[in-house]
Amino acid sequence: MSKEVLSVKNLNMHYETLSGDVHAVKDVSFSVKEGESFGLVGESGCGKTSVAMSLLQLQADNAKISSGSIVLDGVELVGMNESELRKVRWDGISIVFQGAMNAWNPVVKVGEQIREAIREHYPEKSKAENTEKIESLFKMVGLDAAVIDRFPHELSGGMKQRAVIALALSCDPKVVIADEPTTALDVVIQDQILNEIKKVQELLGLSLIYISHDIAVIAEMTDQMAVMYAGSIVEIGPTDKVFSTPKHAYTRLLLESTPSVVGEKKKLRSLDGEPPSLINEITGCSFSPRCPDPSDDCKNQNKEMKLVEIEPGHFADNCCVDCG
Amino acid sequence: MGEYIIKRTLQMTVVFFLFLVFSYLLFNAIPGNAFSNLLLNPDLPPDAYNRVLELYGLDKPLFERLQLYIVNFFKGDFGYSYKSFPKTPIELISERLPRTLMLFAIVNIVSFYTGFFIGKILAWRRGSQSETWITLTSVFSYTVFYPWFALMMLWVFGYKLGWLPIGKFLYPEKWYDAPFDSDIVFSSMIKFTIVVSLIQFAAYLATRGIESLSSRRNLRFASLIAIFIGSYFYWNNGAALIKKPYAADIAYHMILPVMVVTIVAFAGTALLTRTTMMEVLKEDYILTARAKGISQKRIRDRHAARTALLPVVTSFIFTIVTIIDGSVLTEQIFSWPGMGQLLLQSVLEEDIPVAMACFSFVGVFALVAHLLADISYSYLDPRIRIKSQG
Ligand SMILES: Nc1ncnc2c1ncn2[C@@H]1O[C@H](COP(=O)(O)OP(=O)(O)OP(=O)(O)O)[C@@H](O)[C@H]1O
Ligand SMILES: [Mg+2]
Repeated sequence: MSKEVLSVKNLNMHYETLSGDVHAVKDVSFSVKEGESFGLVGESGCGKTSVAMSLLQLQADNAKISSGSIVLDGVELVGMNESELRKVRWDGISIVFQGAMNAWNPVVKVGEQIREAIREHYPEKSKAENTEKIESLFKMVGLDAAVIDRFPHELSGGMKQRAVIALALSCDPKVVIADEPTTALDVVIQDQILNEIKKVQELLGLSLIYISHDIAVIAEMTDQMAVMYAGSIVEIGPTDKVFSTPKHAYTRLLLESTPSVVGEKKKLRSLDGEPPSLINEITGCSFSPRCPDPSDDCKNQNKEMKLVEIEPGHFADNCCVDCG
Repeated sequence: MGEYIIKRTLQMTVVFFLFLVFSYLLFNAIPGNAFSNLLLNPDLPPDAYNRVLELYGLDKPLFERLQLYIVNFFKGDFGYSYKSFPKTPIELISERLPRTLMLFAIVNIVSFYTGFFIGKILAWRRGSQSETWITLTSVFSYTVFYPWFALMMLWVFGYKLGWLPIGKFLYPEKWYDAPFDSDIVFSSMIKFTIVVSLIQFAAYLATRGIESLSSRRNLRFASLIAIFIGSYFYWNNGAALIKKPYAADIAYHMILPVMVVTIVAFAGTALLTRTTMMEVLKEDYILTARAKGISQKRIRDRHAARTALLPVVTSFIFTIVTIIDGSVLTEQIFSWPGMGQLLLQSVLEEDIPVAMACFSFVGVFALVAHLLADISYSYLDPRIRIKSQG
């Protein structure tokens, strides 16, 4: 078994706002092994981006990590100071942001923006070496070498996105986070980009954290996955296990509300209701108000939310495992 | 690009022609002029009267005079000053212009850099105590009634404290037995400033391509030191050594006006930079830069401030355009014998050839500044492309 590169334990993060604290990440634990791709799925607003930002310690100014630990390759990231973090960023963990279209500074050439990252972490590299590196990355993601000297506005959305992937790989990071890297792209390009990411991940043996609200994409892209609901992980395990035997009511609903992922054609189920507001501290089962067929334990909020092991490596939250 | 410049120059010529016609007609609409006052003089013999009329062509009908004026103008003949005959407007302007340009070039450069720097820091530290206070101060100096403020500063530094001279651009008693004219010293000061800026600019360009940031910084710093040493040797050797005390006298007289105008002028740039940069700081690419592990200072200067520069430069170029007309007030308050004073005097005394020449100069200056602004945009923001069809 390959070793763990990244391990997150009991991470809690909240945003301080005028109307109260928004608990966006609640007691989240997971780990990513070398060369493995890990998926994080959940509906909009459940805290996926918040988790990603916490990993890089790039959360907004009003965000506070109240407890938990993030260990990258044996080094604890929570509590690091700014200059230590700067070394970890991009070299240790890099990220392809949600809406990466705007990730480029409009007045600086694409090549220069990649060069800048390499220069920051490997100042001893010569200009020629950096150019060579960028060209090889561009080739890998299917871009022309001439893109180096282009300005961002001269590229199409798909090209920008490919270049962002090249940027994320430029310092040979240990972990790459891809936060919905294909939103705002048309379906054909989405597919190409996904293939590109998958190809690169396998080629380089990357440890990848793939974030999406689309469970079908997660199925295609990842080895391990976690389902998030209202800031907590409600089910986590090997992707094939989660898909073949989903244990949590929410996971099942997600699968059933997605067309033709597994098995025969079924009538799609839609998910009623809104996710709960994250401002109030939720005690008991957070999913029970939307649970279509809650068990007694779930309805009466008898159980604390806690992951229980269902089969080796596959965990689900114990208050909703028995729901229909 | 070349095509664009030619096209713009042609357009500018047409605009300028209209400008000239309108200015001429406006001046013509003023009842009487210095010249007709002269003609009212009963002691003037009739043949002198006629000679003067002929010399200035004042007996011709308006349209003919206008035609003549414009033809002569494009030949470079502006006529003679009514007041200081036989000096030509060109002579008067070329004496005054360097003084104004020197003063206001320094003011503009200093106020642009301080304004940009302060605005950048303000945006970066938004929400802090120091930000609140500096913003308030900037708003004060942006809105203060300028003549009052200038007089207060004159009173404090010139009169109460007595640190700085109250007016003029030199002490006449010091120049009593100077071996040369103040204009010569002045022009060598200007030449010196231009050469130094060019060298520094060249050093900047030459070091641009260096990959290692630290050696780039070191080289730039070294070039700065070299310039300082070079300047020291320049002013302490040869011809410049004799000029040094006189140059120092002029520089001493420049301190107060530069300070006062800078205090008033920097605030606009600072507040504008602050606003645009706060917008830029919300952009996603700032987050990308942080994720890349780039240092805060570099994110501030290279990413945020660099992108925030465009609107700031736009407004800055518009202020440059107003250098000459804006200098009227300043030069009057500080008794600085420059273009602003010449313009005011010539209008008050109805010395129309000089006034016309001054105004045309302002016009040309404004047009050229706008062209330069448009060209510089395309370098500052690659999204703006100059098209020759445009
Ligand atoms: N800076 C902030 N201040 C206050 N609340 C915030 C802030 N950023 C995010 N939130 C809140 O935190 C919760 C989680 O947001 P997050 O962006 O992590 O969701 P997400 O799962 O990435 O959603 P999406 O799929 O739409 O990107 C949301 O309820 C959001 O409103
Ligand atoms: Mg998100």
